[in-house]
Amino acid sequence: MKVTIKSWTGVATWRWIANDDNCGICRMPFDSCCPDCKLPGDECPLVWGACSHCFHIHCIVKWLHSQPQQQCPMCRQDWKFNNK
Amino acid sequence: MSGIAKTSVLVEEGGNQCRKRSNISASSDQCSKRSKFDDMSSNEKKSNFSMLNPNVNGTIKMTTSSMNKPGATTKKLVIKNFKSKPNLPENYQETTWSKLREAVIAIQTSKAIAYSLEELYQAVENMCSHKMASQLYVNLTNLVEAHVKSNIEQFLSESMDRQVFLKRMDDCWRAHCRQMIMIRSIFLYLDRTYVLQNPSIHSIWDMGLDLFRHHIAMNTLIQTRTVDGLLTLIERERGGDAVDISLLKSLLRMLSDLQIYQDAFEHKFLQATERLYCAEGQRLMRELAVPQYLAHVEKRLREENERLLHYLDPCTKWQLIHTVERQLLSEHVSGVLSKGLESLMDGPRLRDLATLYSLFSRVKDGLTELCSHFNAYIKKKGRTIVIEPERDKTMVAELLEFKEQLDNVVSTCFQRNDRFLYSMREAFEHFINQRQNKPAELIAKFVDLKLRAGNKEATEEELERLLDKIMVLFRFIHGKDVFEAFYKKDLAKRLLVGKSASVDAEKSMLSKLKQECGGGFTCKLEGMFKDMELSKDINITYKQHLSASSECGGLELSVYILTMGFWPTYAAVEVRLPGELTRHQEHFAKFYLAKHSGRKLQWQATLGHCVLRAHFTQGNKELQVSLFQALVLLLFNDGDNLSFEDIKTATNIEEGELRRTLQSLACGKARVLMKTPRGRDVQDRDHFAFNADFTNKLFRIKINQIQMKETSEEQKATEERVFQDRQYQIDAAIVRVMKMRKALSHNLLISELYNQLKFPVKPADLKKRIESLIDRDYMERDKDNPNQYNYVA
Repeated sequence: MKVTIKSWTGVATWRWIANDDNCGICRMPFDSCCPDCKLPGDECPLVWGACSHCFHIHCIVKWLHSQPQQQCPMCRQDWKFNNK
Repeated sequence: MSGIAKTSVLVEEGGNQCRKRSNISASSDQCSKRSKFDDMSSNEKKSNFSMLNPNVNGTIKMTTSSMNKPGATTKKLVIKNFKSKPNLPENYQETTWSKLREAVIAIQTSKAIAYSLEELYQAVENMCSHKMASQLYVNLTNLVEAHVKSNIEQFLSESMDRQVFLKRMDDCWRAHCRQMIMIRSIFLYLDRTYVLQNPSIHSIWDMGLDLFRHHIAMNTLIQTRTVDGLLTLIERERGGDAVDISLLKSLLRMLSDLQIYQDAFEHKFLQATERLYCAEGQRLMRELAVPQYLAHVEKRLREENERLLHYLDPCTKWQLIHTVERQLLSEHVSGVLSKGLESLMDGPRLRDLATLYSLFSRVKDGLTELCSHFNAYIKKKGRTIVIEPERDKTMVAELLEFKEQLDNVVSTCFQRNDRFLYSMREAFEHFINQRQNKPAELIAKFVDLKLRAGNKEATEEELERLLDKIMVLFRFIHGKDVFEAFYKKDLAKRLLVGKSASVDAEKSMLSKLKQECGGGFTCKLEGMFKDMELSKDINITYKQHLSASSECGGLELSVYILTMGFWPTYAAVEVRLPGELTRHQEHFAKFYLAKHSGRKLQWQATLGHCVLRAHFTQGNKELQVSLFQALVLLLFNDGDNLSFEDIKTATNIEEGELRRTLQSLACGKARVLMKTPRGRDVQDRDHFAFNADFTNKLFRIKINQIQMKETSEEQKATEERVFQDRQYQIDAAIVRVMKMRKALSHNLLISELYNQLKFPVKPADLKKRIESLIDRDYMERDKDNPNQYNYVA
């Protein structure tokens, strides 16, 4: 062996696994946070519904609080959190 | 004057008072003197003490009456008038006057006086007491007038040397003054009584002045000669000759005393001054360089002030100085500035500039002119620094130096005048934006250079001060988004490659930017720092995880996890990693995603770097390389001689990138690969071999500098991204304005946009964006008026 690796400093970027670019409620891109937060990351995570729609958690919680029925704002199906 | 005391005064007998008073009355001489003191007050009061009344005759009589009542202790003292007035000798007035006259003439002819001064004084007093004052005054006036007249002759002769004339004039004046003082002393009593009581009459001294003025000074010929003589003398003194200052002073005092200074002298003097300095100003402006000229003006002003101190009347001061300033400065303000400011500033000749400022602050509009020239100078000089692409390398350093120099000038020479500070800022802002985008980019890069590790030339404090100075420049930049883009890109490199000189300095720069542009400007930059900290934590836990599970040993892996939005966008590059690296990478990803669900990781191969242990015949070395360099080097474990094409297929690195990578390994300073044929550029047909004989005096060798270097494509891409962002901002601004206004003419829309947009844009670009928005149905042209836009909801 002429050369061996001693250490490696890699760089990776993370994104949310989402089926859309923007949150359907706040229209902000998923790469950034909801309007109430400052920094994207674990403080402002995404959630998926059983209907496979995806929102900022703060956005969907706010939406559900304001609605009499717990429906997905995109497809009007009953909203269920999908913890995958 | 009250006349004769008719009252009799009762004086209580046995009182000490009585005896005292009788004592007084006993010596009439004394009494008459005393009584003068009281002559105003007591007379009018008609008091009981009328025995002290002045009496023209000086007669006071006291009668002691006999006791009126037996047993009473008081006695009456009755004062009665003389029975007959004591008379003066017949010719008293004539003889006394002739005595006085003799004395005055003696004084006037500078001879000894035959009588004692006391005697003369007494004579005057007596004459006054005997109502001869007015006659005495008339006589004296005539006598003085005659003498003054007799002095005229000597000044009237033709062709007299001016110097001699002035000297004689001075002598005559001094003699006159001396004589009048003497005369006044003798006639003091007259001055104090008769003159004081008659406001229309001049005091003796004033009478003398009046006569002198009337007969000598107001004589046209004499006056002209005197004034001309004085002016010549002053002109000679201004020319640098030594002249008799005391003569000048004395004669000018004479003019002032005679109250003809202003009428006879001042006007002519100011005219002469004006003529002289007008000519001198024009001549010297041609002949002298500006610093010398300024020094000369300063000298002249100083001299004139001394002249005022030494012999001119202080009331001339304002006009004289004003005249000099006008002729030497006001007239030449723009001349001096356009001729000399540039070279003074280039110097910078601080002392001369200070002189310039202090002189110009004296004249009206002088500082305004200076300020506008100063402004023009900065703009002109600054433009040359900014505008030339050849000077890009040194632009920021030159700007900093220029700014410092100007600051120095303003603070030391221009007294930190606010007007100049504002003007300087305005000028900087103007010229620095003459060239769009480039200065912002270069400032960002300059900061990068200073914040990069290995920059050992500055201590923390020096760096801090430097950053402050850079912020001043940054403040002038209009297109701050360009700065942000480049700064962000460079910051990302510094952080990821571990090249940041000091976290403190980085943070301090960040807080400066935040202060300057607000939190919105820096929130992404702050996010980058946050990512770095989070990554540090993740790597620690990963290491613990590894040591617990004891799998994936052999190489140390640490990963920076970046949040997409914060960092510059990096093009995703797929490269072929050796199996060992892929295994580590997947292992880490599994670990990370288990902790952070709902995410996916995108590896950025361009940003990774490695430390390799390389075995050469001369010994082992550690190589700090980029991931790409490492990939290339690892290939040589299995083969000795590889072609460009082989390496390309094996690593799957993009061609341009690979070329640069190979160049750094085979043609740079540390050549761990050998290229055949030799040459600076990497060609498609080149072959590469591992350089087993590689030597270097260092153990650790950095070859990953290539990562830090910015390629021109990178620079273009950054710029492009900024322009792209700007387009969105323009679009957003247009829609915002139109949504609010509903309908707007083109020109109004454009001006509204210029108010909103914080970066420089050309009207043509705005037009393009408007067209694009019309195409996309955000707005439409009015059907009747093509110059008007309507918002489409």
